[in-house]
Amino acid sequence: MSTEPTTPSPAVAGDPTLRRVLAFFALILAVLVVVVVVSLVNLNRSVAASEWVNHTHALITELDALQPTLEAAEGELSRYLLTAELRDHGAYKDKFAELGEHVDVANALIGGSAAEKELFQPIAALLAKRAEVATRVMQLRKAGDAVALEQFLKEDAGTTDHGELARLIEKFRATQTDLLTARDRALFLQAQTTRWTVLTGLVLDFLLLCGAAWLIRDDLAARRLANRVLQESNAALEEKVRQRTAELSDANGRLLAQSLEDRWSKQAMEHQSRYNQLIIDSISDTVFVVTKLMNVSRLNPAAVHLTGFEPAEVIDKPLGRLLSVNGTTDPAKPTFDPLARALAEGRDLRDKGAYVVTKSGQSLPVRLNIYPLRDRDKVVGGVVILQPANPVST
Amino acid sequence: MAQPKGSAPSGRQIVSSFPNNPPWSTRALVWLCVLTTSFGLPAHLAAVTLTDLLEQPRLTAKKFASYFADFAYELNGPIQPADVFLSREKGDCDDYAVLADFVLRKHNLATRLIHIRLTGRVAHAVCYVTDNKAYLDYNNRAVFFTLTRCGPEIRDIAAKVADSLQSTWTTASEFSYSYETRRKLMIATISQTGEPVGNPSPGRPSPFNVD
Repeated sequence: MSTEPTTPSPAVAGDPTLRRVLAFFALILAVLVVVVVVSLVNLNRSVAASEWVNHTHALITELDALQPTLEAAEGELSRYLLTAELRDHGAYKDKFAELGEHVDVANALIGGSAAEKELFQPIAALLAKRAEVATRVMQLRKAGDAVALEQFLKEDAGTTDHGELARLIEKFRATQTDLLTARDRALFLQAQTTRWTVLTGLVLDFLLLCGAAWLIRDDLAARRLANRVLQESNAALEEKVRQRTAELSDANGRLLAQSLEDRWSKQAMEHQSRYNQLIIDSISDTVFVVTKLMNVSRLNPAAVHLTGFEPAEVIDKPLGRLLSVNGTTDPAKPTFDPLARALAEGRDLRDKGAYVVTKSGQSLPVRLNIYPLRDRDKVVGGVVILQPANPVST
Repeated sequence: MAQPKGSAPSGRQIVSSFPNNPPWSTRALVWLCVLTTSFGLPAHLAAVTLTDLLEQPRLTAKKFASYFADFAYELNGPIQPADVFLSREKGDCDDYAVLADFVLRKHNLATRLIHIRLTGRVAHAVCYVTDNKAYLDYNNRAVFFTLTRCGPEIRDIAAKVADSLQSTWTTASEFSYSYETRRKLMIATISQTGEPVGNPSPGRPSPFNVD
């Protein structure tokens, strides 16, 4: 059989109130079980005590019946001795048999109780003695010895058996009466215990139920309060979301407008750049636009035609790789560069002889003009214009 | 052996008096009557005698009880002679139990007489039939279950009888009775609060049997 541990459901595990309510109901159930068990035990004890009370009553009844039955039996015997009637013969035998039954029943009721046996033994012995006396009387009568019978009866009349029997029975009866009182008290106490157990259980269960009800009521109130707070919080949150949404919507509108303006600016700049390129491209002379550091930033189709380099091969490369003013095109070789100097000083350089190194490695003589580009009196680059020329010596 | 006086015709005789192929409902009714006659109701309507009971072939405890369904209750001091009880059709539990013990013993059934003393009421006597593991009770003479099943111990029998009377018992005795001597002889007596032992052994001869 599998013995997988049972895990509490998330609802039970996560809700302390539910756990507490379940604990309350478990306690109520436990109290009920205890009350039922204790009540059943007490009930069984009460039944047993009741049986003992009945037992004692039965024994007292048997004790009470002993002497009257003996007297009745002896009376019937005397009558038979006087009448010799068959009816009286049967009557005394019946009475002695009844006496024997009372003794048997009393003995059975006494059972294994040594104290009661000790008290009853002399009574039983005395009764047996009286039965033997009766048997002896009948034997003498059957023998026809009237004198002996008369003598025996006279002697028997002088005995104190009946007084002694009454005394013994009374003594035994007194102990049984005391026992009866004690057993009756025990029965009463057991009944009281049962009553108190049931009442205590009832009160405990009622209190526990009240506790559970209070807990549930408290929890419901807390839940209602939490619900109200949650609703208020939700409303505040919704208001904030509304405000933030409005703000975002405004910002988005502004961003859209800005984006549109940026796009327009960009388009204008692109248009301006293209226009500038068109201007440069429309010049038939070779034109290079260079940065302040003499790197090529633009060139026109005439420059491409002259050098054989595509714009992508030249853009952002030093102009010194294409153009030699000092008779060399090696940029690693330190030379004096009059173009850079002119740009640094912000002055034009006109009609200067130079060589252009084409892609095929051919050096072509050109005439060079350089014009600095100014932005608010600050040189930011220059425009180099080459015109074909005969080779010159530098 | 001769058929008892006033006995009912057998089931076969009843069935043969119907025409051939009677409807099923009629057949069922006939068989119900036959079964009821055979197992439940007394076999005759006139007062039964001791001879009838003694000579009844294969008399069972249940069959014996069926003869007393119409008997009346009458509390008597001494036990009535069997013929008187049967002819008057009146008696008490002692009369019934003693007669059952007497008759069923003659039919070789083991029986025991049990006398139960109850709290605050008249004592009661039943006849326990060992073969049936049940006792015959005069109070149950007119009900369907005339035999009440229970254990063989005196304590079991006393407890069952007390329960049936919604009472508690204090002591119970096993006894024998002779119609000839008209004497009860107590064999053993137990008390309800005593140790739950089996049936006690028969005691010594009583000194109270004065003769």
